[in-house]
Amino acid sequence: MQSLIVCPACDLVHRGDAENAPTDPGRLRCARCRAVLHGARGAHIDTAIALAISALVLFLLGNTYPLVEFHINGATRETSLLGAALGLYHAGHSALGLLVLLTTIAAPLAQILGLLYLLIPLRKNRRARRQSTVFRLIVQIRPWTFIEVFMLGAVVALVRLSAFAKVVPGIALACCGLLMMCLAALTSLTSPEQFWHWDARSRH
Amino acid sequence: MNSVVTGRNLGLLLCLRCHCAVRALKVAHPRCPRCYAHLHMRKPHSLAVTTVLLILAAILYIPANLLPVMYTRTLVEDERDTIMSGVLVLLQSGSWPIAVLVFIASIVVPLLKILALAIVLYSAWRPSARHRQQRSELYRLVEYIGRWSMLDIYAISLLVTLVQIQSFATIAVGWGAGAFGAVVVLTMAAAHTFDERLLWDEKK
Repeated sequence: MQSLIVCPACDLVHRGDAENAPTDPGRLRCARCRAVLHGARGAHIDTAIALAISALVLFLLGNTYPLVEFHINGATRETSLLGAALGLYHAGHSALGLLVLLTTIAAPLAQILGLLYLLIPLRKNRRARRQSTVFRLIVQIRPWTFIEVFMLGAVVALVRLSAFAKVVPGIALACCGLLMMCLAALTSLTSPEQFWHWDARSRH
Repeated sequence: MNSVVTGRNLGLLLCLRCHCAVRALKVAHPRCPRCYAHLHMRKPHSLAVTTVLLILAAILYIPANLLPVMYTRTLVEDERDTIMSGVLVLLQSGSWPIAVLVFIASIVVPLLKILALAIVLYSAWRPSARHRQQRSELYRLVEYIGRWSMLDIYAISLLVTLVQIQSFATIAVGWGAGAFGAVVVLTMAAAHTFDERLLWDEKK
């Protein structure tokens, strides 16, 4: 039983040991449909915790400082990440505001906090309460984190506004850029295979 | 009997959350022993749910492109922008790389997603052994690029927040933006509920 790998994309069964599979996911692909069979593995748990803490710091900075400043006729307006979501809400589009709130604030934050909640005890060979449920939710939330799209959207907004007035990118925009890279690295480091590999190892 | 061995032939259920293969045919409501997710041979009602979501997305794609997404009110003029006219504004202001980017993210990608999902769904309704590989790859492409069409929504959220009453102009959000956001969410959900393995299943 342990020596079978089933392709998640076409259901083809492969003989092989998932635990000793290559650590680089690109090297283990389905023989029939070429889907990647295995998430990345081989990272150290401390690397993931360090990345999650950096992501949390960047997230907090990105939410406290203004994202963009806008100067016109001596007046200044600025907005933060949360302000962008609230702006839509005040404009009478609460569903859209909620969508922006969920994809740029709630999803990244839940992912970072959830991983820290699981990984810090796991590092000391302990298991957080409701570990499997929390990790399953993290994996479910992942595709709805849109920080990188938001970054590009901010660039588009800056270009459109710079035709009328002086626009200054804020500190938070730089933080969001770094957060985007941190989250991408964190997501690939904490693939389900990797997470359950750490879990299995801590039981020995 | 086909020579290809699939998980279904062997009675193996695959957990799509953690890629753990489980033999649990006689169990009424099987769950993954590792991450406790519900297990199904195929995603339940995959074709029906995906079809409904896709039809809704295709219907909403029309108002999303015809209704204005943004109203700009200045002292001298009133302007209403649809997604396409927003692209043209960017093009006229001389920033053509950004204009191309927005055109691809907001007009090409959603249309491509709807068409690609329709092709993939059609071939899942009538499975054939031809072009399976290409269809699988088409589906993976849709899953990958889906989020990028949120670009314009984020740009609008920043514009509407920054440009408000006290300054020289006001920007209001139109219902086109709401429809557009719904298209993005619906197509992402449709890609999510589709079970790629249906493309590879042999006809009974």
